[in-house]
Amino acid sequence: MKFLSSRRRAAGAATLALTAALALTACGSGTTKSAGPVAVVSQQAQNSPYQGTVLAKHFDKPDLVLTDTSGQPFDLRKQTAGKTTLLYFGYTSCPDVCPTTMGDIGVALQKLPADQQAEINVVFVSTDPQVDTPKVLRTWLDSFNKNFIGLTGDLTTVKAAAQSLGILVEDPIVNKDGTVTSTHGAQVLAFQPSDDKAHVVYLSDTSTATFEHDLPLFAKGVAA
Amino acid sequence: MPASRDFRRTALAGAAVAAALTASAIVVACGGSGGGSGASAKLSVTDSYIPLPAGASGDDSMAAGYLTVRNTGGAADTLVRVSSPGAGSVSMHQSTDTTMREVDSLPVPADGTLQLSRGGTHLMIMGWQKPPAVGDQLELDLTFAHSGTITVEVPVKPLTYRPGS
Repeated sequence: MKFLSSRRRAAGAATLALTAALALTACGSGTTKSAGPVAVVSQQAQNSPYQGTVLAKHFDKPDLVLTDTSGQPFDLRKQTAGKTTLLYFGYTSCPDVCPTTMGDIGVALQKLPADQQAEINVVFVSTDPQVDTPKVLRTWLDSFNKNFIGLTGDLTTVKAAAQSLGILVEDPIVNKDGTVTSTHGAQVLAFQPSDDKAHVVYLSDTSTATFEHDLPLFAKGVAA
Repeated sequence: MPASRDFRRTALAGAAVAAALTASAIVVACGGSGGGSGASAKLSVTDSYIPLPAGASGDDSMAAGYLTVRNTGGAADTLVRVSSPGAGSVSMHQSTDTTMREVDSLPVPADGTLQLSRGGTHLMIMGWQKPPAVGDQLELDLTFAHSGTITVEVPVKPLTYRPGS
């Protein structure tokens, strides 16, 4: 048990280090453009049809049961099995990165035919469950796509699930003006139905164009 | 008499032109605090927008604001404060890989730009007097250390809007 948990932590740290390095590269190449160079490098290096960063380590989908936006228990593994699942951790009072990422995915998804849209689950897990009740989550997610799945519940459970994916989630901090800041890794992990494992990661500065390029591939079941 | 009237008219016109020149000179001075030396900041604000916030609408809406400050002058300046008559608070934030932090000021390099854009440096606008709606404009007053205050009317755009799209 101890061994397993420390191995997981090491893998998580490695992913974080990789993410940080990629982000630095992106910063160095100019702030006006999005993650283009990162995606291109990874594409060439790994010869993948996807523009997202292809993962060398295929994370298991976390064994996560939380509450969905209708107030019902939601078993992530069971209820997203057999479909591509994009997983993101964030919070609704986040003004910049979270709505930008969800908006980018929403815009890209809407460009697909309905039958292809139905092949892709988008799951948003709250890192601020005290504020993000099922109702708050639903209202917020509806701004992007009415089919997006929102999950909220015990933060310890959420943190453990995120950690198993190399994603950092910390306890939210209430600022002196009453606003909340949550620290969370802003990457999107894409799990594929072939083995229900994560194959591609999208960093927080991914452009809409990258999602528009990759989502049809997921919908058609193209291997990363 | 007609000659005198003509003269008066010309004089008035001249005065008007002079007044207009003075006014435009003042505008230039506001933008850059005294041109000529080449070592002062000359600022302009472009590409400003506020994406409609997601989720609950109301005066507790929290919105992000984005814009570009262009400096064609030879000296750097610093954005030290942003306020709005239509919002309770406007603060400056920087998104990092995992979180965001409030900052007191933002540098505007000489002959360069300060870019507030998605996923990076942004304004956080709270305490809206009137819930934001697409098509609304919000006045933002940007105060710089050397160039004084520049006022811009910032449009509220759809949630997924990007400049140039």
